[in-house]
Amino acid sequence: MNVDGGTLLRRSMLAHRGRIVASAALYTGHQAGEALVPVLIGVVIDRAVRTGDPAALGLWLAVLAATFVMLSLSWRFGTRVGTVGGARADRSLRLAVTATALDRRESTLLPGALVSIATGDARRTAMVNFQAPHGVAAVFGVAVASTALLVMSVPLGLLILLGTPPMLYVVKLLSAPLERRSADQQEQAAQAAGVAADLVQGIRVIKGIGAEHAAAARYRSISRASLIATLHTARAEAGYNGSVIVVNGLFLAVVALVGGRLAAAGDITVGQLVSAVGLAQFLLGPLGTFGEIIAAIAGGRASAARIAGVTGDRASSPTADPPAVLGRLRLRGTGGPGVRGVDLDVAAGELIGVVAEPVAAGTLLRILGRESDPTHGTVTVDDIDAEDLAPPAWRSVVLASPHDADLFDGSVEANIRAGRPGDITAAVAAAQVEQVAAVLPDGLATAVTGRGRSLSGGQRQRVALARALHADPAVLVLHDPTTAVDAVTEAAIAAGLRAARTGRTTVVLTTSPALLAAADRVVFLAGGVVAAEGSHADLLRTRPAYRELVLS
Amino acid sequence: MTLPPPAPADADAGHRVLLPIAGPARTLAALRAMVLRHPLLTAGSAVTLLLAAALSLVTAPLLGRVVDLAATGAAAGRITGPVLLLAGSAIGQGALAFAGLQLISRLGELVLAAIRDEFVEHALHLPLERIEQGGAGDLTSRITEDVAMISQAVRGAFPEFVQSALIITLTLVGLTALDWRFGAAALLAVPVQAVTARWYVRRSAPLYADRRVAAGAEQQQLLDTIGGAQTVRAFGLRDEHLGHVADRVDRSIDLLYRVVRLQTRFFGRLNLAEVVGLTAVLATGFLLVDAGTASIGAASAAALYFANLFGPINTVLFLLDTLQSAHASLARLVGVTDLPAEQRPQHSTVPADGAVKASGLRYAYLPGHPVLHDIDLDIPAGSTVALVGASGGGKTTLAKLLAGVHEPAGGSIHVGGVPLAELDAETLRRAVVLVSQEVHVFAGPLAEDLRLAAAGATDEDLDRALRTVGARDWVAALPDGPQTVVGAGGHELTVVQAQQLALARVLLADPLVAILDEATADAGSSGARVLEAATTRVLRGRTGIVVAHRLTQASAADLVFVIDDGRIVESGPHADLVAAGGGYARLWAAWSAGRADHA
Repeated sequence: MNVDGGTLLRRSMLAHRGRIVASAALYTGHQAGEALVPVLIGVVIDRAVRTGDPAALGLWLAVLAATFVMLSLSWRFGTRVGTVGGARADRSLRLAVTATALDRRESTLLPGALVSIATGDARRTAMVNFQAPHGVAAVFGVAVASTALLVMSVPLGLLILLGTPPMLYVVKLLSAPLERRSADQQEQAAQAAGVAADLVQGIRVIKGIGAEHAAAARYRSISRASLIATLHTARAEAGYNGSVIVVNGLFLAVVALVGGRLAAAGDITVGQLVSAVGLAQFLLGPLGTFGEIIAAIAGGRASAARIAGVTGDRASSPTADPPAVLGRLRLRGTGGPGVRGVDLDVAAGELIGVVAEPVAAGTLLRILGRESDPTHGTVTVDDIDAEDLAPPAWRSVVLASPHDADLFDGSVEANIRAGRPGDITAAVAAAQVEQVAAVLPDGLATAVTGRGRSLSGGQRQRVALARALHADPAVLVLHDPTTAVDAVTEAAIAAGLRAARTGRTTVVLTTSPALLAAADRVVFLAGGVVAAEGSHADLLRTRPAYRELVLS
Repeated sequence: MTLPPPAPADADAGHRVLLPIAGPARTLAALRAMVLRHPLLTAGSAVTLLLAAALSLVTAPLLGRVVDLAATGAAAGRITGPVLLLAGSAIGQGALAFAGLQLISRLGELVLAAIRDEFVEHALHLPLERIEQGGAGDLTSRITEDVAMISQAVRGAFPEFVQSALIITLTLVGLTALDWRFGAAALLAVPVQAVTARWYVRRSAPLYADRRVAAGAEQQQLLDTIGGAQTVRAFGLRDEHLGHVADRVDRSIDLLYRVVRLQTRFFGRLNLAEVVGLTAVLATGFLLVDAGTASIGAASAAALYFANLFGPINTVLFLLDTLQSAHASLARLVGVTDLPAEQRPQHSTVPADGAVKASGLRYAYLPGHPVLHDIDLDIPAGSTVALVGASGGGKTTLAKLLAGVHEPAGGSIHVGGVPLAELDAETLRRAVVLVSQEVHVFAGPLAEDLRLAAAGATDEDLDRALRTVGARDWVAALPDGPQTVVGAGGHELTVVQAQQLALARVLLADPLVAILDEATADAGSSGARVLEAATTRVLRGRTGIVVAHRLTQASAADLVFVIDDGRIVESGPHADLVAAGGGYARLWAAWSAGRADHA
């Protein structure tokens, strides 16, 4: 199902068409009202001020007030309805991108880029829903103003209608170099702020090596360069604003000249002259809006294309009930990056250690967790082929927990309970989380923030291990679960892991002697194939390569 | 790329002493002082903008003159005069606006840069203890969010605000000049506007603050969920996490609706002010023309004057809250720049060697909760010692005291015979360097990162340092070698690479004493071995104090100190401690259990 940006944008608009139409109708009322205000001022001057008729004054001031009520309310509710139409579209796009990021394995995009698509691109795409009604309304506003002008005087009307677009074009030409420049210069200007934030973030490092002066000097030079760039931009911006004032003023003078001559000749009334001047000012608004809307739609389409690039090839995740298994794991000729072909049988309830080069260990973890598929060979659990099971169903049977497993916001306890509800005491004890809880301010209720970065590495690893143990899957695959804990704790964890996984299949990818010593059997991979099998002690004795990898 | 280090467990959240915020009077005084550093620029921009606004006032009377000429059926040729004046005034206004806006932006940018520079300079020289009391996040949010808020106000809001405010003031003057009664009529709108502005600003500031918080929370949740996608999948947490994201998005949307309702009501009330004022001005025109005291041209001019005020008035009132938020942000910056900087003596004797001697050291993050009790250490120059013990025992705190980053609550530290407290800043850093658990790669070229430690280092020096820590090969393989931009927004380095850079900085700083408290947790076991080998080479020829995470490091050290619960419970050479059969021996037994051939 491949969807391009245009299609995605259209769908996003169609889903909220009711609100877009309602908002467009309301904005149209607002624009019509705004166009009527200068017309009415002229009418008041003609019908009341010139004639001295108080009844006419009362009548036309009442009409003016009614127009204001109409335009004000139309704008108010048009904005509200349009906002809802945009926000709802934004919401569904954000969630769609997030869901895809969660469903799709092996993303080529970094998390930061995906988040920026989920926020920035979703917003720009949804913004079209909010902007489109403005465009419709601007068309009507121009139509009302044109009609009024042409009714008053055809030559004056034509002058204003035909003169405004070229004038806006001149303004656009004036701003083009500014836009080009400001993109680079904004970047340079933003650099000072960026470097300042970066230095402050690294303040402990700076203090540690006594680089306060060096850092300050570095910042000063960047700040100076930024300031110069910013001043250039400010100058260009001031130039642009000044030019706009000149262009608008000259256009107004031309309108006054032509209108004044027509009024003096009696072709139009004085009030109509005032209206024409007012309308010439008004038209700048809706005509200027067109450019903005075209830019918004172009931006929205480009953003929609980026979203479609992420969600377009979204794999449908078939839901299948997880099978009940004993936990017999079998690999046959299984291969991937760093793994040539592994044959491995793990009996149900067995605890095995696997020693492999870092790349091979990572590949095995991803294959067993169905994060990636083997390039060749098969993986089965209780004779069920991985290929026959949807990844989510497979993962509910085989849990592969990476060594840098992320924790999430919430208490330590909530994190451990994430995989399965129930009493966590046993997992907490096995993973030595009691020690962690003892030094945390609120024990197990302590909040974890920043994906677990509020805990030390050792604390984080133990909580992640407790979570994996508590999930109690039929097959548990762990990768380097104890790299950040001290030796005594590691030994205790090895014993706790054995006890907690009694009768359940467990594969530990590690080079830690303490964990390997606790395994029923150790499989040693070299050159991407199984090189040796046996107990940890046997392998230490007989295999120098194993010895070197484990004991260095 | 910053991984915040674990907060010391006993000084954690809940006891935070946030950095101070300056009072409104102090904030304004600081701002005034910075503006007055540029008296000519200030006066120049004020005068030009005032002239530009004044010149814009001739537009309406000139149009009124055209109206009068047309109304009296004057010859068409007479209209050319006022129209030429109109054109001339447009050119004049444009030129003055160009000059004035440029001057005022210049002033704004200079003040903004001064605020930022002063803040960064000051933040770098704050005692680390004071920063940690508030949480480093507090300082970071001030340099990011508050500076961004002020920039937005200075660049976007301020020039527009000043321009609009001038136009409003002068228009009222112009209306009054036509006839004082026009001015009085226009003022009828002011009460409505004043009440509306008050009503709006009171509600908008907290609402916008909530919105920023909600946007931050949403961003954070997305990063957590998408960044932790593999874990989410492994534990089957997909739907739960989508729910979390939806909740955050809904919170943002709810606040957006509230903002839009507030803004639409705000502009609705301003529409009321417009209609009140415009009606009053038109009615006044009617009465004055009727009484023969004003011409139709004057009445038209007054109506046009007033209609042209709608935009500027809305702008001024709408920008009030941006300026208010910027003022609040400035208060948070001034609060930091008013803090006392770290005090260090100006001159000092240079330590003779890298011997470190500490006696009776005590420290507490919170009064009454000591984390170190009477620590005594005697480390001969040139030796390598290991600090060993469970996490939370005080190793990291001791490392910070020995590095002079924290000041002890009691006791003394001597380096090479000179008290640490008496070393001036420069001598201190040539004597002792600390590599903390925090891993930070500074954004910019990799070579610049390294030169923070030694500004004058040559390319050869950098190359030698990189080779020593085993980083030369991967640095050479980077797209632009050592000139590759790394850190935030640049080429992303692995945790191991980042720590190799930290070690390279130590080599370049070349101190007598290097204290290493690196976090190897994220490095994995193979990464830890790479770093251990690099550490050994870095410590050659200097005193090394290593917070040991793996006991192989301890076994290779000349001396081992075992720290538990803020006390040194055992100390001596590795072999002696193992033979003594105490806690360290048990630790070592556990560590080597799986390593013996006959386990």
